[in-house]
Amino acid sequence: MNKINVNMIVNGEVVSILVEPNARLLDTLRDNLELTGTKEGCGVGECGACTVIVDGEAVNSCMILAASMEGKVIETIEGLGGDNGELHILQEKFIEHSALQCGFCTPGLVMSAKAFLDVNDKPTREEIKTAISGNLCRCTGYSQIVDAIEDAAKDYYVYDVCRVKK
Amino acid sequence: MFKYDYLRPASVKEACELLALHGDSAKVIAGGTDLMVQIRDEDKKWANIKYIIDIGHLKEMKYIKEDGDSICIGALSSHTDIVKSKILQKYAPFFCEASSTVGSPQIRNMGTIGGSIGNASPASDPVPPLIALDAEVKVVGTSGERTVLLKSIFANSYKTTLKVDEIITEISFKKMPTEAKSVFLKLGRRKALAISRMNVGVIVVVDSMGFVSDVRIAPGCIFAVPDRVKIAEDVLLGKVPTRELLVEAGKKVSEEMINRTGIRPSTEFKKPAIESLTTRALSQALEVE
Repeated sequence: MNKINVNMIVNGEVVSILVEPNARLLDTLRDNLELTGTKEGCGVGECGACTVIVDGEAVNSCMILAASMEGKVIETIEGLGGDNGELHILQEKFIEHSALQCGFCTPGLVMSAKAFLDVNDKPTREEIKTAISGNLCRCTGYSQIVDAIEDAAKDYYVYDVCRVKK
Repeated sequence: MFKYDYLRPASVKEACELLALHGDSAKVIAGGTDLMVQIRDEDKKWANIKYIIDIGHLKEMKYIKEDGDSICIGALSSHTDIVKSKILQKYAPFFCEASSTVGSPQIRNMGTIGGSIGNASPASDPVPPLIALDAEVKVVGTSGERTVLLKSIFANSYKTTLKVDEIITEISFKKMPTEAKSVFLKLGRRKALAISRMNVGVIVVVDSMGFVSDVRIAPGCIFAVPDRVKIAEDVLLGKVPTRELLVEAGKKVSEEMINRTGIRPSTEFKKPAIESLTTRALSQALEVE
């Protein structure tokens, strides 16, 4: 099987990498790029733990072939913080509202919330619930998660996702 | 784990040529939300797979546009594109509603309408509204293109009538008249991420005298291949809609289900469920209590 060369932007950095033709984006992020914040839960698109943002849209990285990511802009949980380790407002609000217990679903939920808030300034609670309906959390019961996202929406600003670091 | 090579054609034409060359050992991928799961499960349907032909980047198949009295949808339009389309919200709102119930936001961002049709799942959500709209699909192969009724694409559950080198490139249908009302209803196990146990798309047009001048009833999940149910539509056509007639139309749908698929262990549940779902959809569309 021939490996495929893929050029993509991951968290602002240009990445050029050879991937197996059957590697999923999830595998490449975790095993090759060592971005293990993105989790594998069900592997079939049911749980959302593997959610990342591709070209501005939340997607399940377990259902995407890495080879298909040529020219794409990818954001993972690792790309959210600032250069000096400061947290993204969603991360701050998740902590403030205790919107996590075991934390396994959190990266996926934060990425779904980010993709949503990037294009919705004044979301209703119902819209927030729909936005995270592809993410399962078995600990919190979702209330605190919705609270956190609602709170984050109040002073949310869109971070420049397309910037490329040197 | 299945192993295969990844091919990335530069055009639809090249994709068809690759399909012609590799035959059954090749499979087209677009959004991947069905195929990636089936491959992961090592579905024996794909045991011979040697090539995956990625068409997901062929942007010329990603559009939703008006063309005179028709709407044309590129096969690579995602479910999210359909949900957000102002054109579709105006001319086929129940199709947007159906697409908004597919999987999750992530799946709707990835999954395409062409893929939904090509997968030929009897439990598809966007297909029943398209069947109610008498939609057509444009199919391209190495020997040219053809346009056929969407209905004729389905051969059986998860089987299409597409030839080995053919790709679905466009879905089109006539705009509904402005006075038409459409409703899509779905029964799933939960609100989010539920595969339909049953669904139905209906369109009704009532004339100025209060008579039903057009009615389409397209249930999902209950037939091997999707279809309108003419015997149920005939109950209402030309009549002033009443509660009794809507109940009667629902009964005709379940009658047709049993005619086509026989009595199964699930029939005891499905019969009253599809009857109520149909009646409820019609009563919402016709505003008959």
